[in-house]
Amino acid sequence: MKNGEIKIESDEKLISEEHSEDAGLNPHAQVCLQHLLRVWLGFERDLAKVPLLRRIDLGTYTAEDHQLFLLNIRQQVIEGSRWITRTASSFDRNHAEIRSTVISHAVDEHRDYEMLEKDFVASGGQLDDILNMERNIGSEALHGFLMHKSSQPNPIDLLGAMWIIEGLGEKMATSWAERIQELTGLGEDSTRFMTYHGHNDSEHMERFYQTLDSVCTSENAIQRIVKTAKVVARLYRLQLEELEHGGE
Amino acid sequence: MSVYITSTGRFLPGPPITVDEVESILGAVHDKPSSLRVQIQKANKIQTRHYAIDEHQQTTHSNTDMAAKAAEECLDRAYIGREKVGMLAVASTQGDLPAPGMASMVQAELELPEVEILTTHGICSSSIMALKAAWNSMRLDEHDAALVVSSELASRLLKKQRYEAATTSTFATKRIDFSTEFLRWMLSDGAGALLLQNKPAPKGLSLRIDWIRAFSHAHALPTCMSVGSAGRTEDKRTWQDYNTYAEAEKDGALLLRQDVRLLENLMRMGVDGYLRLVEEGVSNPNNVDHFLCHYSSHHFRNKILNLLDKAGVGIPEEKWWTNLYSRGNTGSASLFIMLDEFLRTDEVTVKEGESVLCFVPESGRFNTTYLHLTVVSQ
Repeated sequence: MKNGEIKIESDEKLISEEHSEDAGLNPHAQVCLQHLLRVWLGFERDLAKVPLLRRIDLGTYTAEDHQLFLLNIRQQVIEGSRWITRTASSFDRNHAEIRSTVISHAVDEHRDYEMLEKDFVASGGQLDDILNMERNIGSEALHGFLMHKSSQPNPIDLLGAMWIIEGLGEKMATSWAERIQELTGLGEDSTRFMTYHGHNDSEHMERFYQTLDSVCTSENAIQRIVKTAKVVARLYRLQLEELEHGGE
Repeated sequence: MSVYITSTGRFLPGPPITVDEVESILGAVHDKPSSLRVQIQKANKIQTRHYAIDEHQQTTHSNTDMAAKAAEECLDRAYIGREKVGMLAVASTQGDLPAPGMASMVQAELELPEVEILTTHGICSSSIMALKAAWNSMRLDEHDAALVVSSELASRLLKKQRYEAATTSTFATKRIDFSTEFLRWMLSDGAGALLLQNKPAPKGLSLRIDWIRAFSHAHALPTCMSVGSAGRTEDKRTWQDYNTYAEAEKDGALLLRQDVRLLENLMRMGVDGYLRLVEEGVSNPNNVDHFLCHYSSHHFRNKILNLLDKAGVGIPEEKWWTNLYSRGNTGSASLFIMLDEFLRTDEVTVKEGESVLCFVPESGRFNTTYLHLTVVSQ
């Protein structure tokens, strides 16, 4: 799935090509992946109904739309690094491997919002506007849910959250960034946050499989991971639906 | 009650047309060879196809003719007389006449007396709609036999005169209008027919219909393939809203369009429906012996197939079979033409007890349809 890539972490030293070949998943992880794929495909399809994103499909997306998008997404990116680090600290010593993965992921992304701010300015926005932007209603709900989940002991369900959020990062890189430049006439410097997420995707995917294989070993784990993916997909869409409501 | 496909037939008009001959049949618009043809043909990999128009773009067979010829072949191969046929279901993207329904015309051509008729309208998946309705009528025990026919005559929409007449269209005003040309080098003509009966044929192999399922995503996704609008987002008029049909044609509202950017959604929704059937326990990937897909595997040859393999539900490439490359993409008729050849070709061994999963996605507004068959003999 071109747009369903998952970026779990980008420490290439941990990934070797040999390791990534034919690493089969355990049967629970396979079923979990089937469900996650459906959650992703449904999420992706329903994004097409979000008015601002529909304009990308219909070819009527403007530079103002792009500013609005960046303006609203920044808070979630900032909060993203917070729930990811919280997640790392909630894993006990029996989950040291996944904790390492999550920590390096957090290191990778915890200042991504700065890139996003630059994109906003390059799109014609005023820096003060984005710095002073509050979380929109959907961002509040999404952030609240993720902070709650990441505070639980050994929150393996957040693998479902990563599936959705990182999948969307990949979609931005492969489907949206270039199209947005084409439609708005904005330069590459307006979509760097989007394109950045397209790098090293096969390694990230392999890392995701490995983590899924190690933590998803029961029906209960499947249920938790898939449910979290569904909630995050719904709240993420809410955040995008609220883009045009100005946080009110 | 079990229902079986006991006979099949097909009709492909004229000789096979090679890649290089295509433009001499459809015609070069304003005598200028298309700059996109080679690129698009390379991508769809279709080697030969058939057209029901000649090199002067004159129609050689009507859509009704082709449907009737495929039906005749199907009935000639059947072990029952045609008087047993109680229902005729006909599918096409566009019949010869906007009204009445195409089934009426095909019935007349076949001289089938007093049958129940059904015309389904759509694009590629309309044949599955017709098949499902006929299958359901058979399951209700209303008929002993039903004939399902699908026929497409796309070339009439694709001939050069259509494009030359569209003088104020996006095709005329844009330097390159990929969405208007894409299907020109993709679609071609042909017809296929299936006979359904409540028992297998006395000789040879029949195909039991196990289930037919379909999922449409028009509620969420924009239109991807269409005829009838000028292809401008801001212009809501359809061809019937212009003062004259001539104005509609001039504006390009009668050109066939495909929004190629949206096409990837079709593969995604196809996989979603497949996973849904696996999740519901309807389809078991381990039990699929043959996979007949209206789209060839190279369209899917991206990460999504790897993901399916990883999730333990991939269908190995050696189980895929298609005749798309040699018979062309004939829209709704494709699967019937495929099933007809599947049962006869030496390329694949078909044995009793094997299961056949068929997948027909329609890009129009994203309808994905699935059909499961089991090979049986009496």
